Amino acid sequence: MAEERTLTFIVTDNCIKCKYMDCVEVCPVDCFYEGENMLVIHPDECIDCGVCEPECPAEAIFPDTKPGLESWLKLNADYALVWPNITIKRDPPADAKEFDGVSGKFERYFSPNPGQGD
Amino acid sequence: MKIDQISEDGIRRLVDEFYARVRADTELAPIFYRAIPGDWGLHLATMRDFWSSVMLTSGRYKGNPVAVHLRIEGMEPRLFDRWLELFSDTCGELFDESLAESLRAKALRIAESLKLALFYRPDRPWPRSVP
Repeated sequence: MAEERTLTFIVTDNCIKCKYMDCVEVCPVDCFYEGENMLVIHPDECIDCGVCEPECPAEAIFPDTKPGLESWLKLNADYALVWPNITIKRDPPADAKEFDGVSGKFERYFSPNPGQGD
Repeated sequence: MKIDQISEDGIRRLVDEFYARVRADTELAPIFYRAIPGDWGLHLATMRDFWSSVMLTSGRYKGNPVAVHLRIEGMEPRLFDRWLELFSDTCGELFDESLAESLRAKALRIAESLKLALFYRPDRPWPRSVP
């Protein structure tokens, strides 16, 4: 299969069940998509501006140049196609703080179901 | 004196000065005038919003720059290099070195990302541009 090339930021494990959504307010290109308990970035729409990275209270967003994120890049790319777009922040889950920093959330909690979107 | 901290006013000066140079540039002017045949005031306002969103996280710009650039005929990678050159010069003249560098770094990332979106084909090698 041909190699995909993008320059993008990627949402990773610690977003799961935290979903603070601060990122969607600052993103200039509206490239966040919402799952039931996490967000992803559409790699083809992200312009790599990096504005979202420091806004994430869970520190779950990284540039794709960081090594070891290949599976997360694929997850972002795949679910951005099926989850609804989100550009307006809502209240995060009530128990977001309890899950912030918990390790291995993907295996235990990841949900492929779509979120509500805007 | 050069500006050492980014503000809405600094962004306005950057955008005004930079696009004045674009419009006078033999390489960039033709494609910009084709893409923006009418109201430059609107384009400048859009670009102020864009840079305000990127540098001040104001969230004022909301758009899809990849789609916008895909619609423009005659795009070529070297036009991005020329754009970056003019942008870099403008930053160097208006801002102190550390602020100029942070603007250049943002512009380079965004340009590289747009170039990939416009020109990357999986079956061809991709030359990374050198800052």
